Amino acid sequence: MQTKILLDEEQMPKRWYNVQAELKTPLDPPLHPQTKKPIGPDDLKAIFPMELIRQEVTTERYIDIPAEVQDVLRLWRPSPLYRAHRLEKFLKTPAKIYYKWEGVSPAGSHKPNTSVPQAYYNMKAGVERIATETGAGQWGSALAFATMLYDLECTIYMVRSSYTQKPYRKSMMQAWGAECIPSPSTKTKCGQAMLQKDPDTPGSLGMAISEAVEDAASHANTNYALGSVLNHVCLHQTIIGQECREQLAMVDEYPDVVIGCVGGGSNFAGIAFPFAGDILTGKHKDVDLIGVEPASCPTLTKGLYTYDLADEAGYTPLLKMFTLGHDFVPPSIHAGGLRYHGDSPIVSRLVHDGVMRAVSYHQSEVFLAAQTFARTEGIIVAPETSHAVKGAIDEALKCKKSGEKKTILFNCSGHGNFDMSAYDAYFAGKLVDFEYPDELIKQAIGRIPKVP
Amino acid sequence: MRRIGLLINPVAGMGGPVGLKGTDRMAAEARARGAVPQANRRAKTTLELLAENDGLSFVTCSGAMGEECCREARIRNFNVVYQYDGESSAKDTQLAVRQFLATGVDLILFCGGDGTARDIVGVVGQAVPVLGIPAWVKMYSAVFAIDPKAAAEIISGEGAFMLRDAEVLDVDEDAYRAGVLKTQIFGIARVPVLAGMIQLTKQVFEESDEERAKQEIARFMKEVMLPDTLYILGAGTTTEAIARHIGVVKTLLGVDVIKNEKCVARDVDEKTLLALVDGEREVRIIVSPIGAQGFILGRGNQQISAALVRRVGITNIIVVGTPHKLRDTPTLYVDTGDAALNAEFGNTILVVSSYHMAQRKRIWQPKPDQ
Repeated sequence: MQTKILLDEEQMPKRWYNVQAELKTPLDPPLHPQTKKPIGPDDLKAIFPMELIRQEVTTERYIDIPAEVQDVLRLWRPSPLYRAHRLEKFLKTPAKIYYKWEGVSPAGSHKPNTSVPQAYYNMKAGVERIATETGAGQWGSALAFATMLYDLECTIYMVRSSYTQKPYRKSMMQAWGAECIPSPSTKTKCGQAMLQKDPDTPGSLGMAISEAVEDAASHANTNYALGSVLNHVCLHQTIIGQECREQLAMVDEYPDVVIGCVGGGSNFAGIAFPFAGDILTGKHKDVDLIGVEPASCPTLTKGLYTYDLADEAGYTPLLKMFTLGHDFVPPSIHAGGLRYHGDSPIVSRLVHDGVMRAVSYHQSEVFLAAQTFARTEGIIVAPETSHAVKGAIDEALKCKKSGEKKTILFNCSGHGNFDMSAYDAYFAGKLVDFEYPDELIKQAIGRIPKVP
Repeated sequence: MRRIGLLINPVAGMGGPVGLKGTDRMAAEARARGAVPQANRRAKTTLELLAENDGLSFVTCSGAMGEECCREARIRNFNVVYQYDGESSAKDTQLAVRQFLATGVDLILFCGGDGTARDIVGVVGQAVPVLGIPAWVKMYSAVFAIDPKAAAEIISGEGAFMLRDAEVLDVDEDAYRAGVLKTQIFGIARVPVLAGMIQLTKQVFEESDEERAKQEIARFMKEVMLPDTLYILGAGTTTEAIARHIGVVKTLLGVDVIKNEKCVARDVDEKTLLALVDGEREVRIIVSPIGAQGFILGRGNQQISAALVRRVGITNIIVVGTPHKLRDTPTLYVDTGDAALNAEFGNTILVVSSYHMAQRKRIWQPKPDQ
């Protein structure tokens, strides 16, 4: 009874997989926030290195991973794939559950898969400093780790509610030499404006993005890096799904269901895009791809598919995506990394085209799932990851009802070792089940997000 | 130094154990049935925990209305500012509270039931925070600490009190004894809450300021309110904030009716409501959970009757409530007096708790065999 399925270091994928190559019609282009015309590489040059701009728009199927980046990724990759025997037994399900464990990275999540190449390309382009935002701190700590490797300075705008809730993520960033600032802050013009409007705001990912973009755009030596949403970020994460495919093949398996949690969409993209490619090319048409999101911020299940800004202040291009409106401030749920009003344009397109589907859950039910996982498989997952765990458990329970022996794969994207206050709140029965009241919002006149 | 006005209703809590459903004007009967005074004993538990606290001083009433309990609990720093004779009455409560206000107090701590709360809040309103030590019997008001020990913990907290709104409800005891439950909302108090409990969840921002939360709910509701639609607004400060946000003056304790951002009727009864909705195409009911148990319907807003709810439809009820209030009521209640209608509410309900945000809350439903 094999529990861990491991690849050798030399079996680590050498290329990223670009699912854009399989789309029958290209993605709708990002639009300039003022002119509303499609943006070109020049519009992005102020904040991104050219190679990442190229990766953002290319439709090449595979992109080589630079050897220097592979060297760093091998610190923790290939990551293990586990068969969740104990969870299956506990659930009494005929389904086979596999999970890809990304918590083995130095930062404890999947995020370094993209922070390392992003820091690398910036270093190559002669950039000295990177500004970014972070929701729960996963991305901020991953970028702090990566910028340290390439000797870059790093400033991180951390969503204020998380900054207060998760002090140890901040300490991690400091350990790797980065500066961490609660957002909104007085360091940027947009931060000052947001604080003036609402001094008690819990902040949001959209606000923090605005601050980081402003910082990068107003300093010549500084670039911006985003931890999710954008195409090149999703691209870098596809190493996860490619490894999974190899690992499952080693035990003669191919998944019937692939699950990941969705905030900006990159960890879902990482595990699912290689399988989405199989659907789009007709190799395996019946894979059920499921994105799991919080009921309090249900972008894919209750948002509109339209052009919207990626940030609060309106510095970023308009992206065609599912959105709850860029002015939407999600409540301070513990899965801070899933508090984003929009979503990856590629993930959005796949939902829109029916290639994948999305479900949403309340906080208390995902923490119950996380507790079940901790008490069967041993791993205490991050609140974000617990959404994927809940999705997998529900699919396995459906199999129990139907008697189907499906193979379920989910991305166990990060550990929750710094999220114990969230677990404490759950144990104390203090978690609030926030829910986006979409029916009421639909009733509201003129309450469609302001997009062209 | 924090000054506390202490008031004990010596006869409160005596009716319950002897089956009297309240003690209003029934103290002698309760004694005759063998009832033992409860309030003094329970207040003493709280006061003993506060006796060592040098940051507190007390003003109180003579004899069984406070003085005796202070002595028994070894409270050192107290003054008697109100004297009463014979059997204490509602009048004594009201006069004592006036005396506390004249002396100047930071908080009124009392031990009693809904009737005592009603008498106190009728005098102080929201001018001074009020906290109740529960005296055993019926308590629909939201001004009571969970138990005498919790009351002491709240008072012992450092810094300024964190306050929230709390409805004061009372049952018509004569009707109650006749088997009819008629609850009326008599006032809104400001009640201190335990800071430690708020810290536990680290939900610092949602918990910050109840007034701000009400404004956020009101901002959302203003967007949701459609033209040519009749809105029935239940009692309470959250619905009042919604009316205020759209420029309408609303009664705090009554049910008011709004259409096209104008007040159509104020403080209406069930009959008037049924007449008003007659002929209307679109009607919505906006209510907030009321009282200690969090009743959406059936306590404090009984004007919104089962007949009215059936006419308007459950799907047209919008429930609103601040995160502060919802935290204290993990389960909400519906008691329209029509069991089938209560069941139609199902096991959960969405409660609007902020701008573009809601909470999914459980509704208590009887088990099938009950």
